[in-house]
Amino acid sequence: MRLPAFEYLEPRDRQEALDYLARYSENASILAGGSDLLVRMKQRLVRTSYVISLKHLKDLDGIRPDEDGRLCLGSNTPLVSIIRSPLLQGAYRGLTDAIRRIGAPPIQHYRGTIGGNLCLETRCLYYNQSAFWRSGRPRCQKDGGEICYAEENSDRCRSANVSDGACALMALDAEIVLESREGERSLPIEEFFTGKGESPFARSPDELVTTIRLPAPETAFGSSFRKLTYRSAIDFALVSASAGVKVEAGRIARARIAVGGAGAAPLLLREASEKLLGKSPEDGDAVAETAAQAGRHAAAFMVDNLGATLEYRQKMAAVLVRKAVQEALARAENGNARGRRER
Amino acid sequence: MDKEFTYIGKRVPRVDSLSRVTGEAVFAADLKLPRMLVGKVKRSHVAHARIVRVDTSKAERLRGVKAVVTGRDTAGVKWGVFRYTQDMEFLPRDKVRYFGEEIAAVAAVDEDTALEALELIEVELEELPAVFTPLDAMASEGPWIHDEYPNNVNVHVEINVGDVEKGFEESYLVREDTFTAAEDDYFMGEPFAVVARFDDGGNLEMWTPNAGPHMKAKPLSNALRMPLNKVRVRKIAIGGAFGGRSEISPADYICALLARKSARPVKLIYTREENTVNVRMGHALITTIKTGVDREGRVLARDITCYMDGGAYSSTGPIATSVPFLCMEQAYRMENVRYNGYRIFTNKPVRGMIRMHGRSFACGVDLQLDRLGEELGIDPVTMRLRNARKAGETTPTGSVVSSCGLTECIEKAAEKIEWRKKYGNLPPWRGIGIGINSVQTGFPLGIRGGSQAFIKFNEDGGVTLNSGVVDNGQGNDQMLVQVVAEELGLPLEDVNLITADTELTANDPGSYSMVSTFAGGNAARLAAIDAREKLFRIAAEALEANPADLVLKDRKIFVAGSPDRFLPLTKVVRMGLIQGRPVSGEGHFAPKVDHRREWVSNPHGQLSEAFSFGATVAEVEVDPDTGQVRVLEVAAAQDCGFAINPMVVEGQFEGSVAMGGQGGMLTEYHFWDGGRCMNPTQLEYKVPLAADMPRIHPIIVESNDPGGPYGAKEAGMSIAMSAAQAYASAIADAIGVTITDFPMTPDKILEAIEKRRQEERK
Repeated sequence: MRLPAFEYLEPRDRQEALDYLARYSENASILAGGSDLLVRMKQRLVRTSYVISLKHLKDLDGIRPDEDGRLCLGSNTPLVSIIRSPLLQGAYRGLTDAIRRIGAPPIQHYRGTIGGNLCLETRCLYYNQSAFWRSGRPRCQKDGGEICYAEENSDRCRSANVSDGACALMALDAEIVLESREGERSLPIEEFFTGKGESPFARSPDELVTTIRLPAPETAFGSSFRKLTYRSAIDFALVSASAGVKVEAGRIARARIAVGGAGAAPLLLREASEKLLGKSPEDGDAVAETAAQAGRHAAAFMVDNLGATLEYRQKMAAVLVRKAVQEALARAENGNARGRRER
Repeated sequence: MDKEFTYIGKRVPRVDSLSRVTGEAVFAADLKLPRMLVGKVKRSHVAHARIVRVDTSKAERLRGVKAVVTGRDTAGVKWGVFRYTQDMEFLPRDKVRYFGEEIAAVAAVDEDTALEALELIEVELEELPAVFTPLDAMASEGPWIHDEYPNNVNVHVEINVGDVEKGFEESYLVREDTFTAAEDDYFMGEPFAVVARFDDGGNLEMWTPNAGPHMKAKPLSNALRMPLNKVRVRKIAIGGAFGGRSEISPADYICALLARKSARPVKLIYTREENTVNVRMGHALITTIKTGVDREGRVLARDITCYMDGGAYSSTGPIATSVPFLCMEQAYRMENVRYNGYRIFTNKPVRGMIRMHGRSFACGVDLQLDRLGEELGIDPVTMRLRNARKAGETTPTGSVVSSCGLTECIEKAAEKIEWRKKYGNLPPWRGIGIGINSVQTGFPLGIRGGSQAFIKFNEDGGVTLNSGVVDNGQGNDQMLVQVVAEELGLPLEDVNLITADTELTANDPGSYSMVSTFAGGNAARLAAIDAREKLFRIAAEALEANPADLVLKDRKIFVAGSPDRFLPLTKVVRMGLIQGRPVSGEGHFAPKVDHRREWVSNPHGQLSEAFSFGATVAEVEVDPDTGQVRVLEVAAAQDCGFAINPMVVEGQFEGSVAMGGQGGMLTEYHFWDGGRCMNPTQLEYKVPLAADMPRIHPIIVESNDPGGPYGAKEAGMSIAMSAAQAYASAIADAIGVTITDFPMTPDKILEAIEKRRQEERK
């Protein structure tokens, strides 16, 4: 398939990139790896006059702690650097496990960036098709029309967020730093996503995601990521789950559970997460109850639009949450240390 | 075999391997010819409609557009594999019958212009009611997809041998089950691409992936109203066929039409989506199988009814409707059997042959045999051994099986995975299963005849083999080189090939129906023997020996038993030239089949000269939480007659396990939104990944078929089919439930597990 015509821009530094974004605004697309954007352009899902490549923005490539001990990931950091970074082991293993499941090793090693994965567009099998496939009937909501083919009579787009990185970052309580010529702002990750399939991100057209900030590493904190696919690589998630848990004095003190492949944002399941608070990490019933609750909530967001049956994906949401929570708890208690030794 | 071979039966790398791995092999899409244009096809965006108007005037006026063609530019010739199935116009004039069907095409100076021109073609369609399943299609009150086929029934194959009712009456146990499967697909490594040009003599030259260049040239000459000798399908590297490139493609014809109209070379490259929707795909099937057995598990009667979703056109319909049954009747002995196979038209893409043809049929037969055995207390391997075909027997429809190593395949595959130890003793959620199958080695297909080969010597003693055999990935070129080198005592590098070119080579039946080694290999062997006899006549005079006493080895002609009495081959070749009797060779071979046999009107008589047999055993582990399957080990044993190159044969086995088992049974299927295929791309159609493949133990069994070259017969399909059956059987063993809808994706497996748990709770 052929790319449509566009002007290709390679800013040399962050300022030049922000200048381009200010000038071209919604007529520009950001190339941060391209494994998603280029396919979407070929399928005429995105019409753009300017493609701004981030490849020369070296200052957005790197992982470093700030003065408060928080870990700052430059948005242009290659996925492989995240997998290999010694700073991202231990408490952050939920993220590295997720990154290892993005696409396939060649994508992780050759092109993909963490910012690109965070901004992966929501997907739907009725939408992610060629221009010819979509022709001959009215456009769907995500395609600029008014119909939803995935769910009859739906008044909104039901496409799903299937970014593995976003799901893990949601559980890790990340902060997203956006910059424009006007200045910088920082959003808790749940506010970075709008929850709307038609326009899933709170990024304005002149803004660039520059940094993803993770809370300072803690002891007795564990994180994990689980993803369901038919093949061990290449596939987008049918459903995914990530958990971040903090254990204090033998009790679960904090928990964040996220589910991907369900809604237009990675779902942060607060109510289900709260069920764990104050419970012992060995309390299997609490974990099971939490997983069931998380599964029920996530199921309400799902429609039959990613492959496999809807019922299966809904059931698997609970299974994946259970496995993710169990693994995060094990890691919080002792697994992180063991995990390091295993490597 | 008692004879000592130099190359035959040896593990030697393929002649084409290096160019494939370095990327130097030239495929049709790589070709660049002077003044070449880009072709693109305008397709139907509805599934069933009358064509009211196609206005190409705006497209024709676009700068850079050199030709636009529609049904008006055709002679209206309809394609069909058989005279009675000619129902497909390559550019239809009256109706479109599936979403994506060809309506018009353009040739322009570049791709952007061609795409822009497509947008300018105005198509007015009057939509008709469409049907998307065989049952809906048969129940439809019309309009029929083709007026000539009431109720959309395209083909009905009826076979009735013995006394089925009596067989059931005499049976100790009878079971009836229905098995279903969705469409499966090829996903060849190389998407379809074609280049066509007319030379200054008005000859058409074409480069296109094919499974038989002669089988494309003939229909092209018919459709273009050109003499056959002016249609020249050339040799080109081909990236896979798997049954999907046996027939001429509308794109072959359209590209030629564009080249003729524009008077320039035209290249047409399919997108992956077009390769899926507009080439061929496997049939979806609904198969009801009723089997009666005696107390020992021997099959006494079988009655099978199968409805196949054929898509919009006949394609290989009569063959496709028959082959699943024929494979089964070859693999299993039985005297009373009835088959009713129906191929039904639907408004979906056209279905053809595929390597794992009819998975719900084959897997259904085997799964049912497992269940019958279970009720009788007989394990699956014993059930297979008691019913397995043996050499010398005749199939229900009258084919004599000259060679058969099926029992050995079953025993060796079972032994390799330690069946006796494992069956019934595996930990929970582990399972082991077996499948067996049999595939034809070359059946007649309409007018296709045998293969003819020629050999000429160069002055330096090297040879060129001229053969119509095509290599579309399986290693046919290598097979030809090994055969000729063996017979002429030459190193492999001394054998050059001119193959798969319809101008230069004589007729060949094509590399489908698993016939290339049997027919093309035999023809090459006979050509080499013919040349050798001529060499020996010349050498015998010079050596004052009897030609019958001569041997040819290491580029020398020896008197047998006297290593000092020899002549260099080069010298004998030169002597031939000087004496006015230059050395050449000719060989031809056609499998001995009953030519009165016809797929629908007379399905009785010798179908193929040889049949091959396979048995696969698989061990799996199922995750009861997710329904996901991990395949631990697979043993694949096939009687391929004789392995001319064991390395190539084992490669076929491994690919077969990937396509038939891992993909065919676990993940591969198409799903639909009306007539739109939901997963036409490699992202969503789940071809297995190398990383997910199990350990495979290939086991070559050699029954030395009397008709095959060196005893060889089919080697590319029996494992694909039996692997699917083994996977299905192993999963059923692991979860204690027989799933009857294929492939067995995790959602279905989990549902089956949960149903079983619910029933156990009751």
